[in-house]
Amino acid sequence: MNISINWEVVKLKNVFKLTLIAALVMMLLAACGGNNSDGSSSSNNSETITLTIANNWSGQDAKAVAMRKILEDFQNDNPNIKLEIEALATDGLKTRLRTAAAANEMPDLFVMWPGAMTKEFVEGDLLQPINDFLDSKPDWKNNFIENALVDFTIDGNIYSVPMNLAPSSLVYYNEAIFNQYNVKVPTTWDELLQAIDTFNANGVIPIALGNKANWVAQSTTFSTIGDRVTGTEWFLKAVEQDGASFTDPQFIEALKVYQQLSEANAYQDGFNSIDENQMVQLYTQGKAAMFINGGWAVANLVNTAPEDILNVTSITILPPVVGGKGEMPTTAGVVGTGLGVNKNLSGAKKEAALKLFYALAGPEGQKATLESSTLVSYNIELDASKANPLFVKLTELMKNTKIVPVYDSKLSSAAVEAINNGLQELLVGGNPEDIAKRIQDAQANAVK
Amino acid sequence: MNVSTIKRFIALALAPSLVLYALFVFVPVIWSAYYSLFNWKGISEATFIGFQNYVELVQDDIFWRALKNNVVFVLASVLGQVPIALMLSIVLFKNNFFQRLLRTAVFMPMVLSTVVIGLIWSYIYHPQIGLLNFLLDFLKLGHLKLQWTSDANIAIYALIPPLIWSYVGLYLIIFISALQNIPNELNDAAKIDGATGLTKLVKITLPMIWGTIQVAIILCISGSLKSFDLVYIMTKGGPAHATELLATYMYNATFSTYRYGYGSTISTAIVIISLLLIGISQWLTNKPK
Repeated sequence: MNISINWEVVKLKNVFKLTLIAALVMMLLAACGGNNSDGSSSSNNSETITLTIANNWSGQDAKAVAMRKILEDFQNDNPNIKLEIEALATDGLKTRLRTAAAANEMPDLFVMWPGAMTKEFVEGDLLQPINDFLDSKPDWKNNFIENALVDFTIDGNIYSVPMNLAPSSLVYYNEAIFNQYNVKVPTTWDELLQAIDTFNANGVIPIALGNKANWVAQSTTFSTIGDRVTGTEWFLKAVEQDGASFTDPQFIEALKVYQQLSEANAYQDGFNSIDENQMVQLYTQGKAAMFINGGWAVANLVNTAPEDILNVTSITILPPVVGGKGEMPTTAGVVGTGLGVNKNLSGAKKEAALKLFYALAGPEGQKATLESSTLVSYNIELDASKANPLFVKLTELMKNTKIVPVYDSKLSSAAVEAINNGLQELLVGGNPEDIAKRIQDAQANAVK
Repeated sequence: MNVSTIKRFIALALAPSLVLYALFVFVPVIWSAYYSLFNWKGISEATFIGFQNYVELVQDDIFWRALKNNVVFVLASVLGQVPIALMLSIVLFKNNFFQRLLRTAVFMPMVLSTVVIGLIWSYIYHPQIGLLNFLLDFLKLGHLKLQWTSDANIAIYALIPPLIWSYVGLYLIIFISALQNIPNELNDAAKIDGATGLTKLVKITLPMIWGTIQVAIILCISGSLKSFDLVYIMTKGGPAHATELLATYMYNATFSTYRYGYGSTISTAIVIISLLLIGISQWLTNKPK
């Protein structure tokens, strides 16, 4: 009898504990839910406006620091607008946006890419055009470089403006190493192969590559080689699957030209297993004579490279390929990222969002971007006395260099994945015909 | 009366977790099985295409390669983690200082985040400044140097040591607690009957913890079918899909190529394959009884 009563007591105690735990869990869940509804109701309130902005300014590079400064100033100047800032790494932001799009929970403003991504978002009815806003500030609108708005324009509606300019394929080289082995900066394909042989013979890595995140080879190198061989016109036709196909001989030729580079041991061992940062590391440690990366690498080098390497670093573009149809001097790239404006914004909230838009992408924002060693698609003079010499070299180079489309800004996501994986395979001896076939299949599937 | 109260109490106590489990596990599984019948980019409208995704899946080389890699992972875990943990637990289950120290050392990777483990091993395998190749050079075994994670033929095997290393500790703890639950009377009786060493191990210890071993194998199978983080950090499924697992392929299909429908098809396939494998392992390990 006694025992059974004790048992009951024990049980009761447990019941209490469990109920307590259950109650706590419920409260936690309720609290999470509560926060959300709180946030949305306060945004309807006209006194304070909450703006969410998703961006990729999370790093320590000069550009991100400059952008965060603008956000901070904006917050201080506008106490009635509450900014909710979501800063992610670039890959993370892309995934975040797609997920938010699928759940129809897009942030109010977000950094997005021109070309394929903008097009997809417009098809998904997630963006609102900013034509009226641009027209109300003609000095600003007319000061962008030629064609800057094309990749943000769909059916006459302009959805954003570029906040930078991103050539994705520039050759950074160490002048000291080039001089030491008496190597000329390559201006023809043969000279490039010659340079690679010389560096290999002397135990220097000719070109550092970090292709673990597999977009690197495609975006920084192959897009340019592809254009050199096939010409831009052919590529744009192949993207539309209009009278050109990725199984055409000129594209297979481009793949073969690129394969030659790896067969000549242009890259260090194990390039598919290190990432972009480790690639730049090999260069800044003086182990590699060159690396090929986008214009964004300047902001990174300026902040992280040791002085002695930075002082002997110079920038050029890949040499032309013999018999290729591509124009010179060109290099692959895109006009940079812009801000997307959520379709659902209206009234005071939209006004606040456009105000922030102008702070970030307007003349002041463009100037801050340029001063952070990042190219812009906007006509302002660089103050060469204040800028880093390497960035001055880059701006000089880009004055005469035309941008041709980087592959991943035009191709469908499935074809981008196919080409990225295909190049990983190509560089370790894959069959160009098979790889071309897979890219063609993926693109044809996506376009039909 | 008393029995039914207890039963009612058990039902009541289980209800909250059951509801949460159903809400966050069952519903999504069924939801994703439903999405697998659509062609859906995530953005814009989904179109119903019936079982076309499944037809594509069966013909998809990369899916089969991912499955093969997953089987390699499952085998490596079941044949690597469980026996190693079992041996270690038998050797280390006493409570003196040295053994406690070793136990802590073996368990340590369990408290590290997979990101840390992935980064550590990435540097061990690094082609230029890697610890492993350096060690081989130091031991005058330079000819054994390989491009561990970037050679498509060996990359998947290079991922096995970190996989085993990071999870052995968990099974070690499980087995040690099982060993400590063997009543002392049995050990004493065994001593009286003259059973020592191997005989005692085979006749008493192993049968007594067989249930735990079964559970460990199931945890092992389901855990390695789900593996994602380590591979995603170390190789991202590359080079050229060489280390793709079902989970990384599912992730890539969903979030890199934005085919939410096809991604759902792969995750539904993962559920089916896991259930099959766990069923088989149950059936196999039940036999000795």
